[in-house]
Amino acid sequence: MAPFSRRRFLAAASALALAASVGPTHLQAAAATDAPVRGGTLSIILQPEPVTLTPVANVAQPTQVVAGNVFDGLVTYGFDLKPAPQLAESWEVAPDGLTITFHLRKGVTWHDGKPFTASDVKWSLENVWKTIHPRNKALFENVSAVETPDDHTVVLKFSKPSLPIFSVLNGVGAPILPKHLYEGTDILNNPYNNKPVGTGPFVFKEWRKGEYLVLERNPAYWDAGKPYLDKLVFRVIPDAAARAAAIEKGEVQYAPFNPVPFRDVERLAALPNLKVETRGYEWLSPVLYFDLNVENPYLKDVRVRQAIAHAVDKAALAKVVWFGYGKPAVSPIPSTLTAFHDPSVPTYPFDPKKAEALLEEAGFKRGTDGVRFALTHDFLPYGDDYRRTGEFLKQALKRVGIEVAIRAQDSGAFIKRVYADRDFDISSSYNAAFPDPQIGVVREYWSGWLGTKTPWTNGSGYRNAQVDALIERAAVEGNPQARAADFRAFQQIVQRDVPTLPLLELKFFTVHAANLKGAVEQGDQVYSSLRNAWFDGPNADAPKGN
Amino acid sequence: MALLDFASPPVSSQAAAAPRDTLLRRLLRRPSAVVGLIFFALIIAMAASADIVYPDDPLDMVAQPFLWPGQDAAYPLGTDMLGRDIASGIFHGARVSLLIGAVATLVSLVIGVTTGAVSGYYGGRLDAGLMRVTELFQTVPPFLFALAIVAILQPSIPTITFAIGITAWPSLARLVRAEVLKLRHGEMVAASIALGASDGRIILLHILPNTLAPVIVSASILVASAILTESSLAFLGLGDPNVVSWGGMVGAGREVLRTDWYVATLPGLAIVAAVLALNLLGDGLNDALNPKGARR
Repeated sequence: MAPFSRRRFLAAASALALAASVGPTHLQAAAATDAPVRGGTLSIILQPEPVTLTPVANVAQPTQVVAGNVFDGLVTYGFDLKPAPQLAESWEVAPDGLTITFHLRKGVTWHDGKPFTASDVKWSLENVWKTIHPRNKALFENVSAVETPDDHTVVLKFSKPSLPIFSVLNGVGAPILPKHLYEGTDILNNPYNNKPVGTGPFVFKEWRKGEYLVLERNPAYWDAGKPYLDKLVFRVIPDAAARAAAIEKGEVQYAPFNPVPFRDVERLAALPNLKVETRGYEWLSPVLYFDLNVENPYLKDVRVRQAIAHAVDKAALAKVVWFGYGKPAVSPIPSTLTAFHDPSVPTYPFDPKKAEALLEEAGFKRGTDGVRFALTHDFLPYGDDYRRTGEFLKQALKRVGIEVAIRAQDSGAFIKRVYADRDFDISSSYNAAFPDPQIGVVREYWSGWLGTKTPWTNGSGYRNAQVDALIERAAVEGNPQARAADFRAFQQIVQRDVPTLPLLELKFFTVHAANLKGAVEQGDQVYSSLRNAWFDGPNADAPKGN
Repeated sequence: MALLDFASPPVSSQAAAAPRDTLLRRLLRRPSAVVGLIFFALIIAMAASADIVYPDDPLDMVAQPFLWPGQDAAYPLGTDMLGRDIASGIFHGARVSLLIGAVATLVSLVIGVTTGAVSGYYGGRLDAGLMRVTELFQTVPPFLFALAIVAILQPSIPTITFAIGITAWPSLARLVRAEVLKLRHGEMVAASIALGASDGRIILLHILPNTLAPVIVSASILVASAILTESSLAFLGLGDPNVVSWGGMVGAGREVLRTDWYVATLPGLAIVAAVLALNLLGDGLNDALNPKGARR
C-alpha cells in the first residue's frame, strides 16, 4: 500500500490528467469536486456466478456486470439515457435515418496491445450484433452494409431506419470483440469468451470458478489517468445472509443487483460505513407486471381484466411487498423513458367497488360461497418477492370474489408453462424496458411472437391488429417525433385492453462502501465500468481473505 | 376346538384387548411420555380449534407488517412481512402439518406393511424381488427423492403427502418383514395352516397383530419425520403456496432473520414442539409396548 502522501500526490496528478481530458460531454464532472485517489482493490459481489464473461449470446446479468469493465462500447449512457461518447467520439445520422457514421477514438488498443480499428466494429456488427446477440438481432436486421472508409470511421447503411440502435451501443449492448482473436473461429466456443480481451479500463487476470474473478487496471487505457482502482475482485457468495455479513464487515465494498433482502437494506443503510444507491439502473428500467391470459374464458373479457387492474392496490404492493423499492407503474413504458412514456393513458386506481361493478357487468355473479370464479396464478420463481406478490394478488382478488390458486415451480417449468404450453391464467414477471420501447416493451404485446414459444414475449396471448401495425411502423420510422407518437398511441390501446397489467417500476439497488466514490455515475452503471471509482480514505486494501 | 382356542384368541387378544387398560397406564408412568402426550394433545387442540379461534383466512393481510409479539394485544405473536397474523398461521399450520403427517404415514404404513408382510411370509423369489425394490428406494436419500417428486408434480397438499409417503415406507417394510420372518415358522402359524386357514387370514389375523408394537412405535416417529420433511420442503419453497404451513412460515421469515427473527422463530418452535412430542410419545410407546419393560 502506497503511503498516504504519495496517494495524495497521485491524486493531484490524476486530477490534472482528468481536467485535461474532460470534454464538455463527459459525465464525470460531479466526481471532480474531490480529487480522486489512485490505488486500492475493490471487492465486488457477483451473484450468481456467470457462465461466460463475454456477452455475445448469453446476456445474463452477472456476465454483463463483469464484461462492462472489460469491454468499452461505442457509447455509454448518462442518467438521462442519452448516449455519451466512449469508443465513438462523435456520430452523425443522415436526415433520412438510413446512414449513420461513427467517428472512432484514435490510439485505443486492445488489452493484448493490438490497435482497435473500424474493422473490429464492422466484424462485431456483422458476426455478433446482427446474428447471435439476443436483444440486437431485430435492431440491426436492416443494416444493409457496413463501410470502413478508414481505420477510425464506420458507416452503417440501412435498408430501413432503425433509430433504437442508439439505445444499445454500450459495451454489453453491442459488444465489440477483437476481430484478430475471433475471426474464423466458432464465436460461441472461442476460448477468449472466458478470458476476455477488450479495450476497457480493466484487464482480465484470473477466474477461479466458484470463488473469485480478478480484473486488473489497464495501464494503457485511453482515458489517461483512469481507472483509479488497481484491481477488481469479484467474489461469488451464494448465501444472502453471508453476503449481508460480508458487506457489513467491509469485506466487500460494492454489491449491485439487490445483493441482500429488502428488509436488510434498511438496516445496512443506517450504518455509517455503507451507502444504498438505486441509481445506475436507468438503462434497464425494469417493470413488474402480470400477464392475463386472454385465452382464458374469464380473462378474455376486457371488463374482467380491467376489474383485476382496479382490484390490485399498486401503492400497497410497492410499499409492503417490495419494501418501497418500486413505484406504481402507469403504463408499460416506464416513466424513465421520458421521450416515450405517456402519462395520459387509461389508469386503474385502486377501487374494489369499481372492480366488483365491472365483474357484475360482465355477468360473473358471486356464488353462494361468495366466489365468482377461480383462476390460477404462476409467479416468476426468482425469489420470495415474486411469491409474496402472488400472495398479495390472491388476497386482492379474493376481496372482489375471485379465488386464486397459487402454483409454485422452478424457472424451467415456469417458462414452459407460460410461454410454450400456455397453461396458466395469470403469471407474474418483469422485463427490462431499456431506453427504447422497441427493445424491451413491445415484445410483450406484438402478436408476431405468438407460437414461437420465446420466453418473455407476449405471455398474455394478446392479438390486436392496430397494436401490431403501430409496433411494426415504429420499428422502421426514421422520424423520432413520429415514432414517439406511435408509441403513445400504442400505450393508449394496450392500457385500455390491459392484456398485461404493469404493476411497478422496480428499483434495483446497489450497496457500496460509503468511502467508495464515483461508483454510481451513469444510467447504465451496473453494466458499465468502474473506471471513475476510487476510495476516499485509508481502507483501500484488499480484504485479508484474498 | 381346543386347538383353535389355543391358536388364535390368545394371540390377538394380547395385542388388542388385554393391554387396553394397561397401555395408557404404563405410558403415564413415564414422565417423558406424559410431556409428549401433553404437547401432542395441545397441537391437536390447536388444529381442531383453528377455525373457531381464528375463523378468518390466515393468509389475510390483517394488520401492519412487522408487528412484534406483544406490541399489539390483538396479535399476540405479531405479524409477518405482509401483515399476516402469526398466531393464526401457527394454529392453521398445525392442521396442515398434522394432516400431512398422518396421511403420509398412512400411505407409508399401507405400502410398507403390505410389502413387508408379503415378503416375509412368502419368502423366496417374491421376497428377493420385493426387497430389491425396497433397496432401490433406500439407496435414494428420502428427502431428495421427495424433493424431486414434488418438483415434478407441482407442490400441493396431495402431492407433498404422496411424496413423503412414497419415500418413507422402506424402513417399515424391512421392520415388518423381519418380524414376520420371526413368526412365519412358529407353531402358531403351523397350526393355522394345519387347520386350513388361508394365507390372507393367517397374515392379517395371526401374524400382523404380533408385529403391531414396533410398527406403532415407528409410525409415531414417521409422523414426526413427515412433519419435518413437509417443513423442509416448504422452507425450500416447495410447499403448497395456498395454505399456511409451519415450514412455509419459517422459509418466508428467513429473509428477515437479521431484523425480525420472531417471524421465522415462532413457527420454528411449533415444529420443534410437534416433532419432540411425537418422538417422546414414540419412546414412551416403545417402552410401554415392550413386554420386558412392562414387567419391570
